[in-house]
Amino acid sequence: MSSKQSKGGAAAKAKKPTKAGTEEKREDVLQAVVLADSFQDRFKPFTLEKPRCLLPLAGVPIIEYTLEFLASNGVQEAFIYCGTHSEEVETYIHDSPRWSPTSIISPFTSLDFIRVSDATSVGDFLRDLDKRNLMSGDFILVHGDLVANIPLDEALTKHRERREANRDACMTMVLREIGEQPHRAAKARVITPIFAVEPSTGRCLQYDEMHPLQEDHYANLDPALFEYPEFELRSDLADCGIDICTPEVLALWSESFDYELPRKNFLHGVLKDWELNGKLIYTEIVDKGYAARASNLQMYDCISRDILERWTFPYVPDTNLVHGQSFKRTREGSCLEDGVIITRGSKVIKSVLGRSTTVGAGSTVTKSVIGRRCKIGKNVTIKNSYVWDDAVISDGSSVVHSILANSVTVGEGSQIPAGSLLSYKVRVGDGISLKPDPTPRISLFDHGRHPVVADTSLVGEGGKGALYHEALGGDDDSDDEEADPAILQTTLLYSLENLNLSSSSISTLASTDDFESGDGDSHAGSYAAGNFGEGRSRLSSFASYDSAAGASKSSDAFHSDAVHGLLDALRADDSEDFDSAKLEFMGLRLANNASDSSMRRAIAVAFVRRASELLSPENGRLEPTKAAETSFVSKRGAVKFIKEVGVGGEGPAIQAEFALALQKALLGVKGLEVSRAGALLAAMLQQLYNLDVLEEEGILAWWGDKRASENENLSNVKEKCRVLVEWLENADEEESDEDDDSD
Amino acid sequence: MAPSQASYAPSLGKLLKSLNGQTLEASIESFIYLLKRRQIKGDDCADATAHLLRQVIAKSKWSDVDQLLTRVQNVGSRLAQAAPHEPIIGNIVRRVMGLIRDEASEDRNADDLGSETASDIQSLSMNAPRPQHPKPAPIASRPQTLTTMPSFHVSKAKSMFNLLSVVDTLDSPVTGASTPMSQAQPTSVSALRSEVLDGINEIMDEISQADDQIASFAEVQIQPGDFVLAYLPSRTVERFLVKASARRRFTVFIASLDPPQASSSTDPYAALRKKLNAGGVKMISIASNGLMAYMSRVNKVIFSAKAVYQNGGLLVDSGASVAAQAAHAYSKPVIALGGVFKFCPEDPSDEIAGETGDSSSYVSYADGSKVDALEVENTVADYVPPELVDVYLTNLGPQTRHHLASIMADHYKPEDVGFSLIPGEV
Repeated sequence: MSSKQSKGGAAAKAKKPTKAGTEEKREDVLQAVVLADSFQDRFKPFTLEKPRCLLPLAGVPIIEYTLEFLASNGVQEAFIYCGTHSEEVETYIHDSPRWSPTSIISPFTSLDFIRVSDATSVGDFLRDLDKRNLMSGDFILVHGDLVANIPLDEALTKHRERREANRDACMTMVLREIGEQPHRAAKARVITPIFAVEPSTGRCLQYDEMHPLQEDHYANLDPALFEYPEFELRSDLADCGIDICTPEVLALWSESFDYELPRKNFLHGVLKDWELNGKLIYTEIVDKGYAARASNLQMYDCISRDILERWTFPYVPDTNLVHGQSFKRTREGSCLEDGVIITRGSKVIKSVLGRSTTVGAGSTVTKSVIGRRCKIGKNVTIKNSYVWDDAVISDGSSVVHSILANSVTVGEGSQIPAGSLLSYKVRVGDGISLKPDPTPRISLFDHGRHPVVADTSLVGEGGKGALYHEALGGDDDSDDEEADPAILQTTLLYSLENLNLSSSSISTLASTDDFESGDGDSHAGSYAAGNFGEGRSRLSSFASYDSAAGASKSSDAFHSDAVHGLLDALRADDSEDFDSAKLEFMGLRLANNASDSSMRRAIAVAFVRRASELLSPENGRLEPTKAAETSFVSKRGAVKFIKEVGVGGEGPAIQAEFALALQKALLGVKGLEVSRAGALLAAMLQQLYNLDVLEEEGILAWWGDKRASENENLSNVKEKCRVLVEWLENADEEESDEDDDSD
Repeated sequence: MAPSQASYAPSLGKLLKSLNGQTLEASIESFIYLLKRRQIKGDDCADATAHLLRQVIAKSKWSDVDQLLTRVQNVGSRLAQAAPHEPIIGNIVRRVMGLIRDEASEDRNADDLGSETASDIQSLSMNAPRPQHPKPAPIASRPQTLTTMPSFHVSKAKSMFNLLSVVDTLDSPVTGASTPMSQAQPTSVSALRSEVLDGINEIMDEISQADDQIASFAEVQIQPGDFVLAYLPSRTVERFLVKASARRRFTVFIASLDPPQASSSTDPYAALRKKLNAGGVKMISIASNGLMAYMSRVNKVIFSAKAVYQNGGLLVDSGASVAAQAAHAYSKPVIALGGVFKFCPEDPSDEIAGETGDSSSYVSYADGSKVDALEVENTVADYVPPELVDVYLTNLGPQTRHHLASIMADHYKPEDVGFSLIPGEV
């Protein structure tokens, strides 16, 4: 008995953890960083009043899922970065019995908030984190809108092994396979991430993104990929933003001050500059478990359905994650909390109903989530909708596939169509049928958080709220994507119907449209298809990638960019300098791996367009001679540029090519008569001759070239230069005469 | 038990290790969340609950039995509410509460020898109403209830005032503590504490030895040449079969949920197969949906129970009910294995048997078209009605349905049966 007593005594003493004990543990502490602001406004108008991570997802604020995921993986120290609404997030966490940093029952030994006042992107958060030097070892980086139940132990072990083997293995991304068939989670995320992965090691080689609205449905492959014995291109992975990082990752963020997004900028950039930084990034592809980010309204919808269908188990309502919840699952598959009253004669099918919600007789609630204290009247139909706390849905109304925020009131007999978003305290009057187009997004506030006047034509007599319009322009900097996919992400329904889209899908990579490239000798992207076959590609379409299409595409892109760049420089009134344009041009050339001939073509087109512009009435209707002179001479360095880049000083053959390019370019100019074009060509050639860019041999070689008189227009233009050519020939003779004289 | 160095995820082993270092409240909370996340399940719950209640008794401050009982009941009902799918937890809580009552009454009996008056008053107080009880306890246990719970106060009682205050002693134990009568109180508290801790250790021993004890009956149950169908063999069943294979030659059909794959390198029962083969026992894996076809050949069906209800019904892994029904149709004996600690003095409820688990166990989430088209209902537990079970093989030996009531009566106090209905403080 005495031994038992001493045991009890020891246990009592051990109540207060001794300091030594915690220090020993220090070595093995797992840290995590939660990014609780994503600098997007996809959840507006809801996020005007509440941060995204506190919006209820099946009755539980989203951040609870994230923190629970971290706790279930044994994270001990967590840091939360908040942007907008940081006070609310902090208040929520501090008031939570489970997560409050002072709570003894918190699974984390510490939970800290970090505020960055001037952060405009996730990148700013991570650069700030680097400065703080808080991360002692591997840490888990997640977003504050993550719902996942994947055990990370395996990924952590592998990550550590890799890091011990090679110090440069700095990051492991946990990705979930979602199959090749169309998947609702794949559709809802809008942007398709494309990972090039080395299958044997899981190393990520390249990262790109695609979305349905982009002009071309191509993924450009880095030629360096083909140096690896094998790689897989995968677009079937759900990227839920779970990264296992070493502190070196933060250093990488610090090095590149302009990276904003963890994937599009950081991952893409780091992988692209692999040869510079030498860092290796790995993927851990899991095929079990659940992981998704409520990154937009469609994902919110998708995850809610997944929770109802128990894919997220054990994070389902009847687990009662949050203190004070008392959900119980019924035989019919609904989850009901205490005090729910479902009147006889009404049906609740596969739904979640929060505490003290009442459902009147004759109503049907299907696959929906209803918050606490809601009042649902008689003969109401609610389908696939998410109704938050304290909402009132009056008799005879119907709500289909919509989100109704806290304290929304829907009047008697009203119809809420699919895709509607009704923000806090919106009131829809009696007998109002909202029109599905434009999608009703109704709020009491505008994007600047100013109260708006109720639009009675929309919400009826006694209604509150007006259509919410997106802020124009102002928020674009902080936005995740280009404008296009963002449009898709702010609606609850995934629909491409209203958008003018080309019908081609991602899998039409093999289009062989030939642009008027005119040059058959461009090499960009002409990697043998045989090479490609070695990499086991996931999408069949990638395998049928057509190199010719790629080449013409890339040279076409180069051409238009280059011409625009040069033209802008030539038009510029304020600057006399041409050097920056030259620099830009050379950069473009390197980036696109453009051939000499395409460069020539671009230069010729640019100068010809400028000269012909000067002929036009708006620009003072200059004479061809004057126009040619102005276009070449007005900018310092332009002549030198043509001489070095366009002609390259490699003898008459190249000069003839350039003259030919000028000739063709002139014909391409719209609204220029053939005779004027000829005059201009002559003037330009003479000007170039005078400027020592073209030599007479070059012009004469062009004159003799068959290609210059292939068709009628060409020969007509050429004919105008006869005078010049004859003059040149004479000059030649004179010159040789002079030479003879001097001898 | 010892997790590998690399593992960060919390687990039973980690919880047990951290029990001493953490505050009690933190331990309870982390256990609750382990249960919620299904990071502890099945038989491990029993062990973990016993460990945790041990901490409750060792660490929490209490000056008399009532406080201790309230404390244990509070913690117990929180655990039971957190994991309604694990009735074992409630069993352990009831066992511990019963243990405390027993020890306390023994103490009182020792005290009583010296104080005649106290027992007089006690006998008076027997008639005092007990409004707290959810349902009236059977007459037989009535004296025990009253004598154990308020015994310390009553033994100190001198006046009618105390007599009346018996009713609210549960809620205000201070009255008892403030009476100057008992100098013996501290010693008896520490004595009681160590007695109870001893008792809990015995329960823990019982839990850990149950499998071995059950296995010791294997030779009797399995005859040479038998064909035994084991449905989703648990640890208990595996040990039982291995033990039998030491002496007997027989054939085992293992019914598992997935059809056995010839090429599959991950045979979940590879270890079991090796052990059985070593004993010369043949093991054949069959798919659970085909087990009916084998039933005519089978001599007996064995599976382990998650819980045994007082009517004799079983809570089992999903699918075992089908096996039991098939056996019943062919008049083959069904043997349910399970330690006495799985005996649950409750009636089966819809809620527990209908527990649904992870949809992705049957359909991969990556299968987009199925995810959209199907509604997956994965019931993780089944209820087997009592008439389908022939033998309950416990650590106390084989039992029939008719003996279950007496076993339950031996192990649980009637007043503890409804412990989880009294809401626990948080």
